Amino acid sequence: MKKDTTYKDILEARGVNRRDFLKFCSLMSVYLGFSSTLVPKIVRAMETKPRIPVIWLHGLECTCCSESFIRSSHPITADIVLNMISLDYDDTLSAAAGDQLEAVRKQIMKEYKGQYILAVEGNAPTKDDGVYCMVNGDSFTNMLKETAADAMAVIAWGSCASFGCVQNAKPNPTGATPIHKLIKDKPLVNVPGCPPIAEVMTGVITHLLTFGKLPELDRLKRPKAFYGTRIHDKCYRRPYFDAGMFVESFDDEAANKGWCLYKMGCKGPTTFNACSTVKWNEGTSYPIQAGHPCLGCSEPGFWDNGPFYTRLADVSFLGTNANADTIGKVAVGAAAAGMAAHAVGTAIKNKKQNPLTTNEGEG
Amino acid sequence: MEHVIEEQYVWQLPVRVYHWINGLCVTFLFITGLYIASPVLSPAIGEAVWYHKMAWFRYVHFGSAFIFLANFIFRLYWALFGDDKYGRFAGFKPWSPVWWGQPFNEQLKSYLFIKKEEPNYCGHNPVAALTHFLFIFCGSVFMILTGLAMYGENNPGGFTDTLFGWVVLIFGSSQSMHTIHHVVAWVFPVYLVLHLYAVIRHDIVDRSSITSSIITGYKHKVEECPE
Ligand code: HEM
Ligand code: HEM
Ligand code: SF4
Ligand code: SF4
Repeated sequence: MKKDTTYKDILEARGVNRRDFLKFCSLMSVYLGFSSTLVPKIVRAMETKPRIPVIWLHGLECTCCSESFIRSSHPITADIVLNMISLDYDDTLSAAAGDQLEAVRKQIMKEYKGQYILAVEGNAPTKDDGVYCMVNGDSFTNMLKETAADAMAVIAWGSCASFGCVQNAKPNPTGATPIHKLIKDKPLVNVPGCPPIAEVMTGVITHLLTFGKLPELDRLKRPKAFYGTRIHDKCYRRPYFDAGMFVESFDDEAANKGWCLYKMGCKGPTTFNACSTVKWNEGTSYPIQAGHPCLGCSEPGFWDNGPFYTRLADVSFLGTNANADTIGKVAVGAAAAGMAAHAVGTAIKNKKQNPLTTNEGEG
Repeated sequence: MEHVIEEQYVWQLPVRVYHWINGLCVTFLFITGLYIASPVLSPAIGEAVWYHKMAWFRYVHFGSAFIFLANFIFRLYWALFGDDKYGRFAGFKPWSPVWWGQPFNEQLKSYLFIKKEEPNYCGHNPVAALTHFLFIFCGSVFMILTGLAMYGENNPGGFTDTLFGWVVLIFGSSQSMHTIHHVVAWVFPVYLVLHLYAVIRHDIVDRSSITSSIITGYKHKVEECPE
């Protein structure tokens, strides 16, 4: 594979015309929240910079991130995306396998020391020496650490790599651990979502390419451009929320009319993602628009904040699966019962101590 | 019969004002908070923008929250710098083994019917002080921190989020933070049951007018007089 071709070379080779190429660049700048003055910068980067070599590892995962990635919306994006990065190692997409493929990985690591990007889909099971995910005879955990050592930056694709997703939901039998907990000494970006939106993934790569560094990140290392607001704050059903007009069951009038899904367990108010703006599948729709509450798929621990279809999460408390209100009511009940018992105790004590106090009326 | 032998001015005005503002705010916060979690009023029929049912409950929650916060800070100030020996929690020294040994132990034993005597404190008795500390001080700080962190989420990078947004890292996710804010909210009604019971009981046992003391400021010392 010739490594120092630029994106332009590839696009030309694929017959993408200039007009479509510029469209792509403007689209990316919009998604990334740049002003239009930065479009030329993206264009120039695309035209002149050599492609960034990428090693794409797959740990414990379901490949939904890859699936999402190859469905980027803009007609040429789908085309560019896979070529945009020089995807030199991807054990799901490569024709080669086994020793052959591992040799390629080692070669990239040597040739592009400190220059390649490590993209990780899925996380690493750390229990029992990592036996729950083995690649070519070694544990995925070791492979991850080895590959990360010489990477320029690490991209954690999806909720699995970012936060753990279903693999590390309680009781997390394999000790599944998100990437940022294993690799601490490299610039790392989390791109959560199950899967993340294709345009978000492309956007992150475009940024990396244009500026040579990761986009601006928030506390949870997510790019602010895409994870900067809650679904709820840009949800088109928000007026119904504020008005208090809620869907009460999936087949009621309100569901038909498209009212707010809050009472159906919508996690939009606690979920930071771009679904309500960028949307899915070429900007066609997103779950809430289709009448389904947000599950909070891009939030840490969303599997443990269930059930999906109620507002109040079940909290495990003393071995029960109660919700906050049940726990509260039991506590208040216990306090009241305790106090009633104490009152009886006090009455008995007073009677013993001072029999007169009880027949004060005659005094 | 008994008669009053002494009037003691215990709760100065700032403490009483704090007490009732706090009580009102907590009541509002609890009711509106539960409503936010499960909005039950039947939906309006009409154009959504005309109605603000949910918005209004949230507005009242946040409004009372800020009054609650200001009141709390005011009480802290009074506890630290006020010229008020009862309001200062002066005797409250949970870091000292002596405090746990003598005064606290004695009061607790009395409450548990292990000891007969009913110690009668003018200010907070040690068990009450500890309960206030755990439920009211820790509870309020917890609700304020998680509350402000949630409040900041509508504008990440803004003032509130910058100051309090880190709280979410303790709980992992915003949803867990909502859940825990909701669980800890129940501390207040539990406290209210204990508190009201303790106050009424003391009033009956010590006849010190403790119930009205939080309105008037005065407690009374009474003496049994033989007929
Ligand atoms: C939501 C309701 C309430 C809350 C959160 C609450 C909270 C408190 C707090 C924090 C104190 C300590 C005062 C201080 O030093 O700042 C206190 C003391 C007191 N409260 Fe309340 N209170 C509530 C309702 C009531 C009610 C309804 C009464 C009775 C009429 C009452 C009577 C008293 C009395 C007598 C004291 C002094 C008790 C002592 O010796 O420690 N409170 N309360
Ligand atoms: C005594 C104190 C308080 C009580 C009892 C209380 C109670 C509650 C409850 C039960 C909820 C619903 C949680 C859920 O299930 O989503 C809630 C939500 C909330 N509370 Fe509080 N709260 C208190 C203090 C505060 C304070 C000091 C703030 C600070 C601004 C605050 C801000 C919030 C916010 C932002 C929400 C989320 C509202 C939403 O999701 O729309 N709370 N509160
Ligand atoms: S549907 Fe969900 S995200 Fe949209 S307004 Fe209602 S609660 Fe918020
Ligand atoms: S709407 Fe919520 S659950 Fe659905 S994809 Fe977006 S973040 Fe995930």
